[in-house]
Amino acid sequence: MSARWLPRSMASRLYLIILAGLMLAQGLSLALLFYERYESATAMMYNTVEHDVGTSVEVLDRLPAPERPRWLGRLQRDNYRYILGTGEPGATLSSDRSLEVVHRIAMEVGPDFQVHADAIPNSPVHRYQVHFTLHDGSPLTLDVIPHIMPVAKWLPFVLALQLLLLLACTWIAVRLATRPLTRLANAVESMTPNADGPHMEEKGPIEVAQAAVAFNAMQERIRRHLKERLHILASISHDLQTPITRMRLRAEALEEGEGKQKILGDLHAMEHLVREGVTYARSAHGGSETPVRMDVGAFLESLVFDYQDMGRAVSLAETVSGAAMVRQQALRRVLGNLIDNAVKYGGSAEVSAWRHANGTLCIAVSDRGPGIPGADIERVLQPFYRLEASRNRDTGGAGLGLAIAAQLTRAIGGDLKLANREGGGLTATVALT
Amino acid sequence: MDRIDHILVVDDDREIRTGVVEYLRKNGLRVSAAVDGRDMFAQLDTSAFDLIVLDIMMPGDDGLVLCRTLRGGKHRAVPIVLLTARDDETDRIIGLEMGADDYVVKPFSPRELLARIKSVIRRTRMLPPNLRITETAEMLSFGRWRLDTAARHLLDENDTIVPLSGAEFRLLRVFLDHPQRVLSRDQLLNLTQGRDAELFDRSIDLLVSRLRTRLEDDAKEQSYIKTVRSEGYVFSMPITVHGNDA
Repeated sequence: MSARWLPRSMASRLYLIILAGLMLAQGLSLALLFYERYESATAMMYNTVEHDVGTSVEVLDRLPAPERPRWLGRLQRDNYRYILGTGEPGATLSSDRSLEVVHRIAMEVGPDFQVHADAIPNSPVHRYQVHFTLHDGSPLTLDVIPHIMPVAKWLPFVLALQLLLLLACTWIAVRLATRPLTRLANAVESMTPNADGPHMEEKGPIEVAQAAVAFNAMQERIRRHLKERLHILASISHDLQTPITRMRLRAEALEEGEGKQKILGDLHAMEHLVREGVTYARSAHGGSETPVRMDVGAFLESLVFDYQDMGRAVSLAETVSGAAMVRQQALRRVLGNLIDNAVKYGGSAEVSAWRHANGTLCIAVSDRGPGIPGADIERVLQPFYRLEASRNRDTGGAGLGLAIAAQLTRAIGGDLKLANREGGGLTATVALT
Repeated sequence: MDRIDHILVVDDDREIRTGVVEYLRKNGLRVSAAVDGRDMFAQLDTSAFDLIVLDIMMPGDDGLVLCRTLRGGKHRAVPIVLLTARDDETDRIIGLEMGADDYVVKPFSPRELLARIKSVIRRTRMLPPNLRITETAEMLSFGRWRLDTAARHLLDENDTIVPLSGAEFRLLRVFLDHPQRVLSRDQLLNLTQGRDAELFDRSIDLLVSRLRTRLEDDAKEQSYIKTVRSEGYVFSMPITVHGNDA
């Protein structure tokens, strides 16, 4: 719903809004200041000019003609001066303000001096002249250039400084407001699947502290929830182990036959489910394993050789040299599950590893099995999800193998992706940064 | 025909105990049962056993404690197979560190247990206890390598872990247990038989060459494993044993 032209980040938006508001306010008050100053200055000038001019004209009138030029300099002001003479020819005055001024002057000096005024049309600035005729008959001209006192030279610098101050304050305010948000986002991001990320600092402004407290409480709740889940799964499966063992022994004591095989088969399935269930629950905590420096090539070879020694068609196509920091047990479990899966559905597995330019270590397990329909490719990573077409009870296991692999990969800070291969089959790629 | 092996099954769960006992008896073993640690030690004092099947989860002294006590006492030579309820890497490592020879995870199939028992007994026969100098050592050094026997991997001089496949580890372990002794291919094959991997069609020669690659041992120089023509192989690098606190 937000406008297109607004910048994307909240910080820049806030910055823009606050800055625009402040600048506008600043500009308005500046304009007001100028207007007021102009008004008062002109008012002052108009209130005093007629008296000054009246006095000056009286003075000049009374002075003997030869002495007058000496006085001219002393009688002139910033915006007018006296000229002994008729001045320049001009046009009719049009400005209301000048007419008003001339009118006042005429009133002040009285009708004796035959006041009349002209605008000077070709002057670069607004300018007019008021003509008098003194009692001795000589002409006197008042040359008026109305203008306000110029602004001080330092004013632009002060303005610039003010602007800088505004920029800085706005920046600080925006940062103050948005930094906690960024921190919160980072905290949420760093939250691991088993919610054992670092607690947020519960300080700062009230709202920020509140958010941090709420976040920590949420993290705590998730952690407790996960712990409980793990505990329940672990307890159930643990308590099932003894009865299943007993039933197994009892079944073994039965006479050979179809019934015995069926019971043993069911027991096997139960056992598998129990084991996988615990492993899945535990896999969220895979990140707690200490990373070790390990020779990746030797690791992959040992893994593949173990499968080969068990008579499975597992091969190593492409490998990497050198060591990497890895959580070995978790990675072994992840790859084991992927290879088991590939062997189960594809008959064979091909392992390859490579390093990305950015240092990411990728390990892929590929098969030539039926692959996974596109719509299901994300869902098969969910626990207990089975592809109905190929994964019925007989071949399917508990439906936890890939879920464990995916969760464990996430727990160790990696990423598991499934993709159908060209020419059939599935590739599961583990990327470890 | 050999004499019949005598197994002692220690488990507090009556039904599992009797079930295991019956199954093992049916499969031609002589079996006794004990309900707890005290019972176990009492029986050990009166008769000789070839192997103890020990449950970890027991009231009182649990299997791990008993295992350690056994290994520290006069019955240290009796092989032990642990019954563990947790399929956890750490449990396995602790169990093996405590001196167990193998373990079976509950719920186990009796067939699996029997296979382990036989495999452990066979291994023990091949390696007379007095020759197993590296038995309880945690860390074995040789050349530029160290072998972590609990975690089952190699460490190089920079502490980088070099993982071993199960068969590679077992073969290396056999070599390290019998340094400077020529071992025939038959002996090696028998001793290297693992719990999961059955090396029926994999020749020992291939395994040795893999292990050489892993140790970065030049096939020409052969500074670790030497080929003895028409006899077998010998591990020729001196070995240093580090105790459990190393």
